[in-house]
Amino acid sequence: MSSDLPIIAYLTGIVVISLFVNMGISLYGVFAKPSLIKKLIALTILSDTANVFAILVGYRRWPPGSVVRPPVLTELPPTPEKIARFASTAVDPLPQALVLTAIVIGLAVIIFLAVVIMQIYRTYGTTDVRIISKLRGERR
Amino acid sequence: MKYERALIAAAIIVFILVLSYAVALGAMGAALPPPDLRELAKNYLKLTINPWMRNLTVMSPEAVTAIVWDFRGLDTFFETAVLYLAIIGTVAIYRGVYTSRKTVAEDEEKGGMSPIAKSVTKITLPMVLAVAIAIALHGHLTPGGGFQGGSTAAVILLLVLVVFSLHFSMHKGITKGSMLALRSTGLLGIAVTSVLVLILGLLVGCQAFIFQNQPKAYAPAGLPATLDGMLISGTLILFNIFECLAVAAGLTLTFILVLTHEEEIRSAMKGDKHE
Amino acid sequence: MEVLALTLMAIAALLSTLATYLAITERDLLTAVIYSALQSTAYAIIFYLLMAPDIVLVYIPVAVGLYPAVFIVLIKKSERYEGG
Repeated sequence: MSSDLPIIAYLTGIVVISLFVNMGISLYGVFAKPSLIKKLIALTILSDTANVFAILVGYRRWPPGSVVRPPVLTELPPTPEKIARFASTAVDPLPQALVLTAIVIGLAVIIFLAVVIMQIYRTYGTTDVRIISKLRGERR
Repeated sequence: MKYERALIAAAIIVFILVLSYAVALGAMGAALPPPDLRELAKNYLKLTINPWMRNLTVMSPEAVTAIVWDFRGLDTFFETAVLYLAIIGTVAIYRGVYTSRKTVAEDEEKGGMSPIAKSVTKITLPMVLAVAIAIALHGHLTPGGGFQGGSTAAVILLLVLVVFSLHFSMHKGITKGSMLALRSTGLLGIAVTSVLVLILGLLVGCQAFIFQNQPKAYAPAGLPATLDGMLISGTLILFNIFECLAVAAGLTLTFILVLTHEEEIRSAMKGDKHE
Repeated sequence: MEVLALTLMAIAALLSTLATYLAITERDLLTAVIYSALQSTAYAIIFYLLMAPDIVLVYIPVAVGLYPAVFIVLIKKSERYEGG
């Protein structure tokens, strides 16, 4: 078991660093690309990556002898032994509840932003921020 | 040009592999998942269904739904308010736009996509709706709940709006008014359920608080945890039903507004009033 | 077995990075939306391997169903190719 430790550290490092690289690329996409729709796509990737980080915090190493389980008790009716075994093999339920809230709020913001971008296109005729900033509010 | 992008993508992946090898050797402190949970997580896991600690438990074997609707119910209430505000903002932007329902009767079957797409949608519509309602109703027993069921139902209703045309769907009853009515019913249900135990406690004459689910030591009013031998976990099942209704109707309303034809929106922007 | 789960998670994470890079540097916005949906599928696999079934049930309709639908309607009503 402890001889797996370098491999487990390597694989966890791959996951964490590739998520950081995702955040970096999508942040670049938000502020460097001139199209409003491309900025919106990059914003969705950014918020989803932040949610994956939050769930990654709730993970744990497998306890010796059994697999790690989702936080749902499946052996009903409960006895104190079943509850103790459940509490020692399940992952953390609190980050999942917070990320649920975060995903729904992200959905609301993205849908509203998409409607506003449609209205910007109808008013100014383009979705290129460089052209819109030069127009200074005059309509087309 | 294409080789440039493939080369950069391969370089990024090699960079990730090499950097994580350096991290695993201990460069910035090796990243490992922790060997055990935090005490707060263990408390939540021990208290989700625990008939021996009757005044601290939620009586629902699904820990995440118990946290979302009982332990941290106020967070979910305000999240529902944020979704409500975003949809209200969309309705306000499209105020004055009339999505016309006028079509000649024989054009209704000609609009939309090919008969293959229509037949497949007709078969999968009841299946997906049944799965969505099952996910919402079993939210306190299995992974699932109000949002999961509501968004699944919103996906299949969006598919119906696109495959059969918008005019045909509005003719058949999926209109702005009906979706607004369903969403308001769902939100009203959530508001009433959140103060239900408070009102029951005040009527009986004992102490109670907002978003209460089970009877506590100092506030002995509460909803029953089992009904006829089946586990219903008090207010959790009511919250899940109303939240599914509100989310599905609200997202479908947004899509009805977004899919409106451009001529109607531009004529409303120019100021033509619909007579 | 723990190594197997972490290996699958690492493969899904690398796939998501590839899809993100392709999505951000693509000039045709419709193809960018498809790459973003591919990245969301990789994230759904990561959520499943992290033992979070509630999140998978929210994330798949929202990120693979609703977001691409909104984006495709938005692209249809405005421009398809990113200028400049």
